Amino acid sequence: MNAIATAFARPFATIPVVRRRQLGLVALTVFILAFPIVHNNDADIDSMANAAAYATLALGLNIVVGFAGLLDLGYAAFFAIGAYFYGVFTSFQVMPLWSDFWTPLATLGLVEKMNQGGPDLVHFTLSFWLALPGAAALAATFGVLFGVPTLRLRGDYLAIVTLGFGEIVPIVARNVDSVTNGAAGLNGVQAPRLFGWSFGIAAWPYYYVGMALVAFLIFVSIRLRDSRIGRAWMAIREDEVAASAMGVNLVQLKLLAFAMGAAFAGLTGVYYVAKLQTATPEMFGFPVSTMILVMVVLGGMGSVWGVVLGAAVLQLLQSWFLPDLTQWTHALGALVGNDWLQRVDFVESIELIFGIVLVVMMLFRREGLIPATRKTPALSFAAQHVAGVQRGGFTGLDRIGRWEQRRGNALEVRGLTVRFGGLTALDKVDVVVPAGGVVAVIGPNGSGKSTLFNVITGLIEAQEGKITFEGADILGLRPHQIVERGIARTFQNIRLFPNLTVLENVLIGQHSRLATGPLGAVLRLGRSRAEETAARRWALDIIALFGNRLAPRANQTVSGLSYANRRRVEVARALATRPRLLLLDEPTAGMNPAETLELAEQIKSLHALGLTILLIEHKLDVVTRLADTVVVLDHGDKIAEGRADEVRRDEAVLRAYLGRAAREAANV
Amino acid sequence: MTTTDLFLQQAINGLSLGAMYALLALGFTLVYGILELINFSHFNVFMVGSFIALWVLQQFGLSGQDTLLYGLPLVGVLLAAFAVTMLATGVIGVGIERFMLRRLRNVKGPAAMITTIGVSYILFNIILLTVGADSKNFPNPLPPVQWAVGGAVLRLREVLIWIIATLLMLALTFFVQRTKMGRAMRATAQDAEAARMMGVEVDRVIMTAFFLGSALAGAGGLIFGLYYNFTSFLIGFNAGLRAFTAAVLGGIGNVPGAMLGGVIIGLVEAIGGQLIGSAWADVIIFAILVLVLVFRPAGLLGRLAPNKS
Repeated sequence: MNAIATAFARPFATIPVVRRRQLGLVALTVFILAFPIVHNNDADIDSMANAAAYATLALGLNIVVGFAGLLDLGYAAFFAIGAYFYGVFTSFQVMPLWSDFWTPLATLGLVEKMNQGGPDLVHFTLSFWLALPGAAALAATFGVLFGVPTLRLRGDYLAIVTLGFGEIVPIVARNVDSVTNGAAGLNGVQAPRLFGWSFGIAAWPYYYVGMALVAFLIFVSIRLRDSRIGRAWMAIREDEVAASAMGVNLVQLKLLAFAMGAAFAGLTGVYYVAKLQTATPEMFGFPVSTMILVMVVLGGMGSVWGVVLGAAVLQLLQSWFLPDLTQWTHALGALVGNDWLQRVDFVESIELIFGIVLVVMMLFRREGLIPATRKTPALSFAAQHVAGVQRGGFTGLDRIGRWEQRRGNALEVRGLTVRFGGLTALDKVDVVVPAGGVVAVIGPNGSGKSTLFNVITGLIEAQEGKITFEGADILGLRPHQIVERGIARTFQNIRLFPNLTVLENVLIGQHSRLATGPLGAVLRLGRSRAEETAARRWALDIIALFGNRLAPRANQTVSGLSYANRRRVEVARALATRPRLLLLDEPTAGMNPAETLELAEQIKSLHALGLTILLIEHKLDVVTRLADTVVVLDHGDKIAEGRADEVRRDEAVLRAYLGRAAREAANV
Repeated sequence: MTTTDLFLQQAINGLSLGAMYALLALGFTLVYGILELINFSHFNVFMVGSFIALWVLQQFGLSGQDTLLYGLPLVGVLLAAFAVTMLATGVIGVGIERFMLRRLRNVKGPAAMITTIGVSYILFNIILLTVGADSKNFPNPLPPVQWAVGGAVLRLREVLIWIIATLLMLALTFFVQRTKMGRAMRATAQDAEAARMMGVEVDRVIMTAFFLGSALAGAGGLIFGLYYNFTSFLIGFNAGLRAFTAAVLGGIGNVPGAMLGGVIIGLVEAIGGQLIGSAWADVIIFAILVLVLVFRPAGLLGRLAPNKS
């Protein structure tokens, strides 16, 4: 028995993962295509068609919540917008007077002239197939309109504002009777037609359209996820500040996520209303938004196949399992003569189950049924030591090529003043970094070093002063614009995207150097494909610089890396932006002497490549080894500037570091 | 009724609604001030509170509007009803914190918020499935005393609601400003880590915040019943959204701000509903929420929540 099982299992186990996935996909497709033919039950086919609608909604919400990390509690509003769009333009609700204006639209088949015994009226007859993209575009527009004022809000505020928005749309639908027929709902919504044949009320045509929509949206989701766009969304989800400091335009990409999610919902609205042939405000209230959220949470936030599974499970629970369970319980109740068992109705408790699912998943399995990030096992001891541990400078530098460099001063900071309330963090500070130079900023804790970096990279505002990079003013630009100009940074307290891999982190660094938009990402034709391939090659080349410290770990999530390796990934990520000025904020903090030496060597070889570097560092041997010029800050003032050995003997510097008393004691 | 009288009447109504929203807003503000968490379960803790209050009043043999109480029995029954309701909802709040949210305290992202949505949904459906979908008559033992203020009518129940709400808010302010636990709470709101290092038991502080907030929501639930003479499983959503708006309007994390915000929202709902039509009240409230968040996220009195980066 066991031998037979292994005999069957073994050939399957030897098939590579990719091929196994393909086989699974083929099996799933065959099952879905054959289901209505094999199982000719209209109610069940209809349940499956509903499951398809929920799956498309879950896929859309997954882009907003799962990919971009924006909690949207009013998602059903966009579903309603799509639904009413199709409903209004195919029913007899809105019928303006006929005039010549409508004639060209009538030729296109969008309207028809109608006479109900009065003057001639217009009857809208929008085609289902045109309504799908139309509703997607309309819902996306609403998503942008709604997102512009609100997406700047903190994440938790966004949740409550979307909750309110989700509540408003049904209220509007209920109260604008003339367009929506109020609480009674739209009636006589036209069924879709294909080559003159109406879908009517049979379930199977809707089933196939629904499944095609799910397949299409899965495809779009996966293409987006694995593109420059999807990586930027996940960067925003993981750490907004770091994402903007790596060149991601936060407002633009959040709006895009919102619009994309809304488009999926608008599309589904058309499908759903065409199938039901009615639309009432109750179909789009808070319970619907919650249900879709439950599907996403159950399946796994950010997991494309997961949310489809979540939608399928909950829909089948609702339409098959709970009714059956209720019947069995009633039968049991009749058998044992228990009155309560004969009355209980589990279908009613579906929302209670939703609540329990949310709580249980959050407490015990936050990653959902199919986690979005697969856990890569840590390297084995053998794999770690396969080529000996890398020491000294970079490997494979030749693949990077020489760095583009301009002449003159790369960075000029003049009279920079930053105040936080009453505290002056920087007071009229001047720093000049010549192109191709290495300047180190040192100073006691709280002297304003990191503030200086934060102003240069646009994370905080300055009250006075001027910052120019390669002659152009950069003060007041947003962080991603500064990255585009050619300045990249690392953070003192490492800010990587913890749930993404080393490779993904480094790829996000290239965000501002790539051009692929959402359409390019989905189609992935010629230019986008070439760009993505080149981006991956460049990312791997950068990772390879760190030899077998990082190269074998390219597909590990960074949260599992050692501290020193995470610092290296930060440097790699900053390098990937192709900066002409690199800001390193205590790059060797927390490293042991050997690792410090190694990184110092690597910084030196970056400098040799022609990269300009501004460095904050506490370790004086590193500073002496690397810097042409040292700037000393104390309490926001620049107290000294010069070569490392000059600064070391400077009276003011010694006082700042050791205090006057210590200095005098040393002199005695 | 003249227009002035109409407005006077709506102002009286609005102040009563505002008192209720203020009590509810305090719960949002206490929790948000410390945890930076929008506690959606608060919506339905309030709703459950009104059903607990209903049950308590029924235990005193009160049902419908027919049984009236006067003097000491009235005071006694009301005191007992408030005490039991507030204690019960306070315990529910502590339970939610202790057994669910505490486990998620150090989890980044929306997990804790999603959990409170789940809890809210569970409370909602427990009441729906056990009590039923139809709204329940809420006993009102108050004698029908009323005064004429100009052309408007001021009833005893409104005066009573104002007095009770004011007393509760004074008690809370005293607690937060003058007691050791209140000081610990303010310290934790500023910087939980520093407070912990100074010996503040942060877990106890957070539990206290949940207890107080939920107890006040219970009081709000009882007031809702007394004011509207009914309760239903549905009441949590609208009242909760209004109260949250009130907390944001006043400056979230800010205790006096929540009270001020509550009163303003109550007045806006009553008077705005009169002017534009009550069907649009939700739209007005929501517009206020968005406008405040976009243009003055610190609210009227300033946001007193930690600034975690």
